[in-house]
Amino acid sequence: MTARLDQRAREVLADEDAVRRHDASVFDLRQRRDAAVAEVPDWEALRERASGIKRHLLDHLDRYLERFETQARAAGVRVHWATDAASANRIVSELLAARQVRQVIKSKSMLTEECGLNPVLEARGIEVVDTDLGERIVQLAGEPPSHIIVPAIHRSRFEIGALFHRTMGTPEGESDPERLTRLARADLRRKFTEADAAITGVNFAVAETGSIVVVTNEGNADLGMSLPNLHIACMGLEKLIPAMSDLPVFLRLLARSATGQPISVYTSVVTGPRPGAELHVVIVDNGRSELLASDGHRGALGCIRCGACLNTCPVYRKAGGYAYDQPIPGPIGAVLAPSLRAKEGGAELAQASSLCGSCSAVCPMRIDLHGQLLAWRRENRTAGALERVVTFVAATAMTRPALFGAAGRTAANFWSLLGRRFAGNPAASWLHGRELPEHPGESFRAQWLRRRETPK
Amino acid sequence: MVATKGNTEVSAREEILGRIRLAALHKARHPGQHPPPALPGGWETFAGRLESVGGTPHGPVAGAELRRMAFDLASTRAGDGRIVAEPTAADWLGPGPWQLASDAAIPHAYEDVAVGFVRGRVACAENGAVAVAGSDATSRALLVLCQHLVLIVSVDSVVPDLHAGFAALPADAFGHHHLTWISGPSKTADIEQALVYGAHGPLTLDVIGVER
Amino acid sequence: MATERDIGLFIPCYVDQLAPEVGWATVRILEHLGHRVHYDPEQTCCGQPFLNTGAAGDAARLARGHLARFARFDAIVCPSGSCVATVRHRFGELGFGEQGDEARQRANTFELGEYLVDRLGTPDLGARFPHRVALLQSCHGLRDLGLGPRSETGPDAEPVRNVVEQLLGTVSGLELVPSSRADECCGFGGSFAVKFPEVSTRMGRARLEDFSAAEYVTGTDVSCLLHLAGVRAHTGTGPIPIHLAEILASGLGEAKAS
Repeated sequence: MTARLDQRAREVLADEDAVRRHDASVFDLRQRRDAAVAEVPDWEALRERASGIKRHLLDHLDRYLERFETQARAAGVRVHWATDAASANRIVSELLAARQVRQVIKSKSMLTEECGLNPVLEARGIEVVDTDLGERIVQLAGEPPSHIIVPAIHRSRFEIGALFHRTMGTPEGESDPERLTRLARADLRRKFTEADAAITGVNFAVAETGSIVVVTNEGNADLGMSLPNLHIACMGLEKLIPAMSDLPVFLRLLARSATGQPISVYTSVVTGPRPGAELHVVIVDNGRSELLASDGHRGALGCIRCGACLNTCPVYRKAGGYAYDQPIPGPIGAVLAPSLRAKEGGAELAQASSLCGSCSAVCPMRIDLHGQLLAWRRENRTAGALERVVTFVAATAMTRPALFGAAGRTAANFWSLLGRRFAGNPAASWLHGRELPEHPGESFRAQWLRRRETPK
Repeated sequence: MVATKGNTEVSAREEILGRIRLAALHKARHPGQHPPPALPGGWETFAGRLESVGGTPHGPVAGAELRRMAFDLASTRAGDGRIVAEPTAADWLGPGPWQLASDAAIPHAYEDVAVGFVRGRVACAENGAVAVAGSDATSRALLVLCQHLVLIVSVDSVVPDLHAGFAALPADAFGHHHLTWISGPSKTADIEQALVYGAHGPLTLDVIGVER
Repeated sequence: MATERDIGLFIPCYVDQLAPEVGWATVRILEHLGHRVHYDPEQTCCGQPFLNTGAAGDAARLARGHLARFARFDAIVCPSGSCVATVRHRFGELGFGEQGDEARQRANTFELGEYLVDRLGTPDLGARFPHRVALLQSCHGLRDLGLGPRSETGPDAEPVRNVVEQLLGTVSGLELVPSSRADECCGFGGSFAVKFPEVSTRMGRARLEDFSAAEYVTGTDVSCLLHLAGVRAHTGTGPIPIHLAEILASGLGEAKAS
């Protein structure tokens, strides 16, 4: 039985052009990243430093969270705590309802995707406008993002042009990226100026000063934080860093890893609300404290959501984000899915890796991503009773050389049969797009015994 | 009921912190400051990097030349549009076709601004970013609402790397709501990875280096 | 008493069953260089497939057997990067110590190419292979064993030799064909190949397309090469997979029968 991700990927992979375009666009990000990294003489030292700071932070997370809360409050921030997605959504929607907010502008936040905030707000009659261009595209299309940095990377310019025509009334047949971007800019400027509240994510939160740090290229988060008088920032509790002097370590890694830029266009360090405005920070757990308690998985909390592991992952590039069917796809999505539990089917994703290890090597935070996938495989063995018995028998056979040899001879006899396509062939999934190699007839062991050893 | 809601949030805080206290190991030490990398500094390096991120460097200029350059930029970028300068930038520029930004104005008052002049405090050579202090951009909306942004920085404020950039910020940098690093004009590549300048924020970014 | 000249030959299960010629090429190379090659026909599997599917208990039984089987050798050589990576880097997950004889034995388990380059100074074996050849850098060899430079590392990483390229450099007539994605995975990945056949074979096809200017594709891992051979047989295009040992042994005679 092939995995569900593979079955979903089958739909994607049927469109050869779409696969090639997706693979090339995403790999282009990886290559931009490589070019940017080549210019940083202390890259590996930075990774080491950043992961060391994060390890220290996670080891003292209780103290740093309290410190952050104290400092943020002193700067005039209202701090809220949410144990899970539902309570985070409730806090945000009650804040909005209490101020009769009708229209919200939102900048990209993987956390609110994880929590499923938009539908909750919409159910209360609040219009939520995603303003990151890629997020806006998938919102208009009624789809989730397929990548955490470039949410609409799976869509062609022609599909986006047609979507804009249908939803925004832009000229039919327009497919030029620059003109499409201008059209979206004009449409969203109006939304920005009309909105009563802004919701943003948080890239980093500085315990020392109680500041939040929000990073974008488009300037949408800055518009959101500048215009309406209510700003709600939602952060996973792992986003903390100890001190302001730690921030450049992470900033030097983040944008280079994500898109190959030396830094994002806007890096806003926000300490307290704008004069006359309100700033609320919602600190969300949603499975993170469980990860913290697990030696094998704590490291995943170091993730800064740069997307480098998606860009390098050959499985992600070929199968596409939707094949994962989780808010965060790719290697980090597969690592986090079983704890965040946003959707069913997360545990199976630990299998969706060839264990090539490029994700771990590219990760700016040095998270052992493929090691974590292996850890999930050990902990959540999805194998049914039958598979367990078969595995046990196979392993037993392999500890007994005579049996191993016999099994090998038997295998040779059945080999040519297995290579044919017939209903119920246990090798069917190997034969999907592949042939079985020819069997040499005699194993190395048998040949060695025949040629080199005197028969006993 | 307000009281109930308040209690729920208090208990959420205690629940989360309780779980984290149990899980936090209190072991790993902070690895200390990152030693500065060997990167080149100076205005020329900064200017080259700024161009690579889509911005336009000008200068270095001094004295009266600064004002002339600002006039030129204002007319090229603005056409007949409205020009606004933050007071600390206007101090450097002297009188001109720019109105002074006022923190008494509502943010939406800058919706129709064609060109904004704002002072930058530190320029970072490794990434072309300029740090704008909250005290120099009290009308924060101006930074992102204007169609064209002009930042004015002292050439002496160029540092080689971002660690030095944070260290060089004024002491009260985090005491004024925001501190914003800006590297180039706003941009997006969300449609087929095609790079487009002018996503939501300014379409162009000019940085004038000033010798004082 | 085993000496440095005595080599324990570690033949992984799939080499034993599906590619015995790779085992023999390894024997010919090592014997040509004056080593005594000891093959224990009682050896089985190192446990990698079980480790990778999460069956730690089953893997531990196999790993224990493997270590006992090779305990008397100072050098254990294997024509497979991923099996060596399992022994050297992953037995730790199963609770096998990082110290003492077991640790030494794990450290002394070598992939054939790395043994030739690091221990024997890249010997010229007089190989001749007048063909255009592409290089498949198998992931475990590259990223776990460090057989070559990784595309992900920054400029301040320790420089690494490129084992397979260095060895291919000794082969006369061989022209190395560059790849646009030097260390992209071929899509094998053990159980991954069977559980995710659609993605796995699509990855394999992409590698073969990338190597299309070559007549052969070579590497250190039979498993990856068999997967590519299977994809190639299905699509009918692409270079022929061949193991590094077979190219290196191309100038040597048949292995002697003792």
